Amino acid sequence: MSMERLDVLKALADKRSDEIVVTTMTATLQWPLVSSHPLDFDFLAFGMGHAADFGLGLALARPERKVIVLKGDGGLLMSLGSLVTLGRYAPPNLLVLLLENRSYEMTGGQTFAPEVDFPALARGAGLKNVERIDDLSRFETALPRLLTEAGPHFVVLPVVNSASLPPVRHTDHTTRVTRLREALDVP
Amino acid sequence: MLKTLGFTDAVSIPDGESRLLYQALVDDDEIDVYLPAREGEGIAIAAGLWVGGRKPVIVLQNTGLMEAGDALRGCGIGPSIPLLLLVGWRGYPGAMSGALPIDSAYPYTEPLLDAWGLAHRRLMSDEDLDVIAEMAQVAETSSKPAAVVYGYGFTP
Repeated sequence: MSMERLDVLKALADKRSDEIVVTTMTATLQWPLVSSHPLDFDFLAFGMGHAADFGLGLALARPERKVIVLKGDGGLLMSLGSLVTLGRYAPPNLLVLLLENRSYEMTGGQTFAPEVDFPALARGAGLKNVERIDDLSRFETALPRLLTEAGPHFVVLPVVNSASLPPVRHTDHTTRVTRLREALDVP
Repeated sequence: MLKTLGFTDAVSIPDGESRLLYQALVDDDEIDVYLPAREGEGIAIAAGLWVGGRKPVIVLQNTGLMEAGDALRGCGIGPSIPLLLLVGWRGYPGAMSGALPIDSAYPYTEPLLDAWGLAHRRLMSDEDLDVIAEMAQVAETSSKPAAVVYGYGFTP
């Protein structure tokens, strides 16, 4: 069973308050449809596959604030070893939402190995709080817990997308970083 | 010196030359050390630390620098993040002794940094240690990564 990605993003935007939200690839295109927040961070084109690694650094630097990373399963394959690093340093304020569509949607939907078991990979890498949620109502029910409970949490969300995707927004990378630091009151 | 310069974190995959530095950092209580699985991942972690208000230094071998090219471009150069890179010069001792190089990493190291437009200096002996402070300052003032290339075994 899969969920519509936009419904997943809407559910998260509805429950989110002052958490940092890092998005990449197709999530970056749709997240602005449901959220406009100073702590939204567009990681697109910052480094292939490294959104969760960036989120790990943010979470370690800002232990008082939840960091949510929305990334795809194709991106995870580009930095699979990073799961071990997440499991080792395990900041309790990190929530990784893995949008699982088993394809490289951004470049045309090329599929990759269909049998990859992402929760098993995460558990095998040492992450403790791993779950797979494939139903929107269950995701909505789980969100208050995921946003408040100590983690890190690694949640696999099987998704499909039937909405047309907005075009890529070519915004300046330095400005993105500057705005997030300002929102975090970093001098 | 790294503490004096205000570094709060080190993201490092140690090499033969930096293994003692790595251990000294691990043994030190003032600088937090993170060991990623690969160097590109480490650069993204360091970028996140910096955006969150920390001051990380990255210690990696030149081979890892080559692996980390996209992350360095995307998480350092593009967003103007002043990351200090300490780059182990794999192949340097062999090249200096006239031996057959272990691989091709040695000659590519400095031209690669030049291609990215990054300032860099060599650290080849204790007398060169000030280049760390110099490159840290260059990174800050230029708002982009700067590198120290070391063909030198740190003995803290």
